[in-house]
Amino acid sequence: MILLSSGFVILWVISFALYYLVPKNRQWVVLSVASALFYVIGTGGIPVGILFTGVSTWLCGMYLKDSFAKQAQALADCVEKEKKKSMKLGFERRRKRAQILSFVLNLGLLLGTKYMVVLLPFMQNAGLSTLRSDVFFARVVMPLGVSFYTLTAIGYLVDVGREQCEAEENPVKLVLFLAYFPSVTQGPFNRYAKLKAEFERMHDFTYERMLFGLQRFVWGAFKKLVIADRIGIFVGNVFGSDAETVPGGIFALAVVLYMLQLYADFSGYMDMALGVSETFDIVLPENFKRPYFSKSVAEFWRRWHITLGAWFKDYVMFSFVMSSPGRKIGKAAKKRWPNAGKHVTSVLGTMLVWLFTGMWHGRTMSYILWGVYYGVIMSVSLVLESKYGIWKEKLHVKEGKGYALFCMARTWLIVFVADVLIRAESLSQAGSIYRALLTGFQAKASLFAVTSYGLSKYGFLLLLAACLFWLCVSVWEERGRDVRRDLAACPLILRWSCYYGVVFLLLITGIYGGSYDTAAFLYQSF
Amino acid sequence: MEEKVLEILEEYCEEALTYEGDNMMEEGVIDSFTVINIVSELEDAFDIEVDAKYVVAENFRNKEAIIDLVKRLVEAR
Repeated sequence: MILLSSGFVILWVISFALYYLVPKNRQWVVLSVASALFYVIGTGGIPVGILFTGVSTWLCGMYLKDSFAKQAQALADCVEKEKKKSMKLGFERRRKRAQILSFVLNLGLLLGTKYMVVLLPFMQNAGLSTLRSDVFFARVVMPLGVSFYTLTAIGYLVDVGREQCEAEENPVKLVLFLAYFPSVTQGPFNRYAKLKAEFERMHDFTYERMLFGLQRFVWGAFKKLVIADRIGIFVGNVFGSDAETVPGGIFALAVVLYMLQLYADFSGYMDMALGVSETFDIVLPENFKRPYFSKSVAEFWRRWHITLGAWFKDYVMFSFVMSSPGRKIGKAAKKRWPNAGKHVTSVLGTMLVWLFTGMWHGRTMSYILWGVYYGVIMSVSLVLESKYGIWKEKLHVKEGKGYALFCMARTWLIVFVADVLIRAESLSQAGSIYRALLTGFQAKASLFAVTSYGLSKYGFLLLLAACLFWLCVSVWEERGRDVRRDLAACPLILRWSCYYGVVFLLLITGIYGGSYDTAAFLYQSF
Repeated sequence: MEEKVLEILEEYCEEALTYEGDNMMEEGVIDSFTVINIVSELEDAFDIEVDAKYVVAENFRNKEAIIDLVKRLVEAR
């Protein structure tokens, strides 16, 4: 059940009505039931994975809480400083062991589901597959949102262990935090302390909030159905063709469009998820901040999938750098190379983060290479950062609009090269595409062939118009304006013309699949 | 102590000295690499260990918060 299905809309409407009818201190119960129904119907009825993660995380959280209480009591009863220190270390060690056990169990589930799926085609080819085993793989081995709720659960336990939040005593509330229905399938990654505060607030119905939530939902659907799925037709046909027969120019266009498709698809989902949540007066963290306006790759990744980047920064990067092996490496490197040594742990942490990011996104070698590629670029730019000023001075580069555009184009190019890797059907196809781009661009042949990949001239014109509209909205937001508030301040006729216009365009020009079921969201597969 | 902290900030992130808001990390004034370098310098300068649990937006929201964090860690040493 994705956010664009009729089943979801019915669930949304009913839970929305009940949410504002029940006593305010029971609103979280409505959200829990809605999340359970969403998950059960969405996965076909076997939410084994999320229950396993929920229960194991709850048990570990309770153990940590109990351990902190016992530690406080033991330290209060003790007067010797040295004994206090060793008692504290003992409690810390036991807490760490409990956390590691929980991480191993949950990461084991995540890796198991990601890599067991690789076995399915082999089983089918060997005739070992039955309808029952296929259903088992689809519903149990590949649980909906496993990549998202596993990391969310790990983040929660780290926060409890770092005493940044208190462990949740109610297991149902903890499962609601992990499986809150707008964010369970594709994020954003929530932090326990913030989402708990949102769930515990009293929520009153307001017309403005409902309208803003609906607007954001429709805008997300527009990006998904009118832009992303339209681009998907062209991109799918280009990458589905024999790479040797496609001119380089067509590949160049397909990769640029794929960059937009991924953005429209994922940020469209986020707009819908945040819009749905807004109607319940639950504020979720923003996941995108117009990344294609970035002037560097580091900035791009601070604006793209923000909550995933923050998760890796807080729980992998800082945990590694500030761990005792990380400190030892850092100190040894500084001693050996007084100037460059200070970057060693940052570079190692960056490579680690990007390797994990690649593995989190996909199970093929292409994703690992994609992660290494970004890790190397980030590390090189970190080490050379202090030289940039000197080089710019020597080359007489002036920081103006032209330079900003150059930096943006450079970011696009770096992302372009990376996206070939993850969109190509295989590494050998990626190689053929790079070759075609460098040696067989064939601009004229590409121009004539552009409408041969499933998208007509009118399809392209419509796509161009939709993208220009999207660009205008983005520029408006980039200038710090709130489009929805600005629209709300417009005269009634203009305002409702805009609403009807977008809904009309969505219904008439959206790409709908068979039985009016839309194409799956791209990030759902990560 | 304050002077030394400000000296380290000046070396790695001059912007932090003039920043007047209260969300330096999330507003992109200070990135994760800079945080790591600053933490490493603070550890060497004050003989303290800054655990990962202290490296949160709250403790790096502005220069005063960083000074406050160092004071707390020096006292707890």
